[in-house]
Amino acid sequence: MTWFSLLVLIPLAAVVATAAGGGWSGFWQSITSENVVAAIRLTVWQAFLVTLINAVMGTATAWVLVRYQFYGKRLLDVAIDIPFALPTIVAGLVLVSLYGDGSTAEIPLLGIPLDWATDERAITLAFLFVTLPFIVRTVQPVLEELDHDVEEAAASLGASRLTIFRRIILPSLTPAIAAGAALSFARAISEFGALVLLSSNLPNKTEVISIRVLSFIEGDDPAAAAAVATVMLAIALLVIVVLDILQRRVSRRG
Amino acid sequence: MSIDIKGVNKLFGDFVALEDVNVTIPTGQLTALLGPSGGGKSTLLRIIAGLDSADSGSIEIEGVDATKLPPQKRNVGFVFQHYAAFKHMTVAKNVAFGLEIRKKSKAEVRDRVDELLKLVHLSQFAHRLPSQLSGGQRQRMALARALAVEPTVLLLDEPFGALDAKVRKELRDWLRRLHDEVHVTTIFVTHDQEEALEVADEIVVINEGRVEQKGTPDQLYDEPANNFVMGFLGEVTTLGGHLVRPHDIEITTDPISAGAEEGEVSRVLRIGFEVRLTVLTDDGEEVVVVLTRTHARSLGLDVGSHVWLAPAEGANTVLALDKAATSG
Repeated sequence: MTWFSLLVLIPLAAVVATAAGGGWSGFWQSITSENVVAAIRLTVWQAFLVTLINAVMGTATAWVLVRYQFYGKRLLDVAIDIPFALPTIVAGLVLVSLYGDGSTAEIPLLGIPLDWATDERAITLAFLFVTLPFIVRTVQPVLEELDHDVEEAAASLGASRLTIFRRIILPSLTPAIAAGAALSFARAISEFGALVLLSSNLPNKTEVISIRVLSFIEGDDPAAAAAVATVMLAIALLVIVVLDILQRRVSRRG
Repeated sequence: MSIDIKGVNKLFGDFVALEDVNVTIPTGQLTALLGPSGGGKSTLLRIIAGLDSADSGSIEIEGVDATKLPPQKRNVGFVFQHYAAFKHMTVAKNVAFGLEIRKKSKAEVRDRVDELLKLVHLSQFAHRLPSQLSGGQRQRMALARALAVEPTVLLLDEPFGALDAKVRKELRDWLRRLHDEVHVTTIFVTHDQEEALEVADEIVVINEGRVEQKGTPDQLYDEPANNFVMGFLGEVTTLGGHLVRPHDIEITTDPISAGAEEGEVSRVLRIGFEVRLTVLTDDGEEVVVVLTRTHARSLGLDVGSHVWLAPAEGANTVLALDKAATSG
């Protein structure tokens, strides 16, 4: 507890204190300014979207890694963690070179150009890139530990494969998916490195919240930066609590 | 009408799990598949349920060829050694699962679940989660869940294997009484000969992927087909080149009968009411003899006593052809 306090609680309290230092009206003004509201909306929406995609794709990826044997499986299993290990600015760099202004990349066959760096899709892609491992890695061990007897029992009671997945497997995975989703969402709303380069950071358009905070600091307005940070703290807490409640509900329902 | 298993073979890699198994399981009876671990009895049960498939051969359940049917379509109830409880569902939900799959009306499901929970004495636990039940209770829940769908056959894979000795004995009695009430064709796998002898109407002895013998408990015990069955169904010892049960040996301190083997008591072990003697015969056989403590005392037996041994009148003996096969 002391350790946690020293490392987390005290610095967080300091941020809140700094935010409060500007007075209530200053705080309110900072967080309701047009740029900030747009940035919060964009960040939360994108993080939500990406978490949703991850919940499906991450579970599917974990499923494939656990249940199927195929050539290159070990390699894929290791490669999943690359976005973890990579400094996110490198991720940004990689994405810029592919989707940036000068890019000539196209979707194969369709010829749709991939110069997405200046709109929201760039943020979605960057978020997906950095949050890819979270749900895979939380679901995978649970799936491995899953008792095969239980699925056989359900099958002999007449349940189809889909019903077995929906009523037996999914409820067992829900806590893991929720945990992974919380991590994924948290990672997304806090993402910085991958976006500094990528999304052009146009205020009101493609500027995410972490970069908004940077802009405030660069503009010598630490109180506003701290105010925004406090809001982010509240959002993060809210999401973690909501996911926890959701997870308890779903895993009890069956 | 019954379960007909014909010419079933199953290989796991190089390992022969089942080799040309032909057996008919009678309808409405409680049949035990008995044999040592790894002998193929669980594999046979899983093949009947459709959880594994045979490499060749056919399975017919009550006149329907089930060889190619998936487990969903066989209408069998399967109970696993480790319960296979749906952990996130209450006891009542577990039992209701098969009924809900079959799209029964809510009222019908509720009535049937109530009835089954009463049958397995779990009514007061209907709203608990499986993790809040003891092992024995969980297994009864699993049984109710399997019975809920009114299966043609109930298959139990070492159902009491994970339970402690006392609960195992209780459940064994209970299963027997339950079967007398429900009369569903039941096959259960066990490696415990006492369990099979006590509970089953019919026993199929399976060893190394083959059926060694099939019959009632009395038939198997009294007329074992071979050394293996004799040895597996109870303790045996060798006397004069024949296998005989240690409690079926008559022991005397005088040479009364003509064919008796002469020997000397080399070891005496008392366990409660019984005394186990090891007798070294003049022919060099080590014979185990079991008798009551009172009997041993009346004969005044101790290490070094000179004795004569003969099979008791009416005892079963089997010619010991292969000593290795009977040592287990």
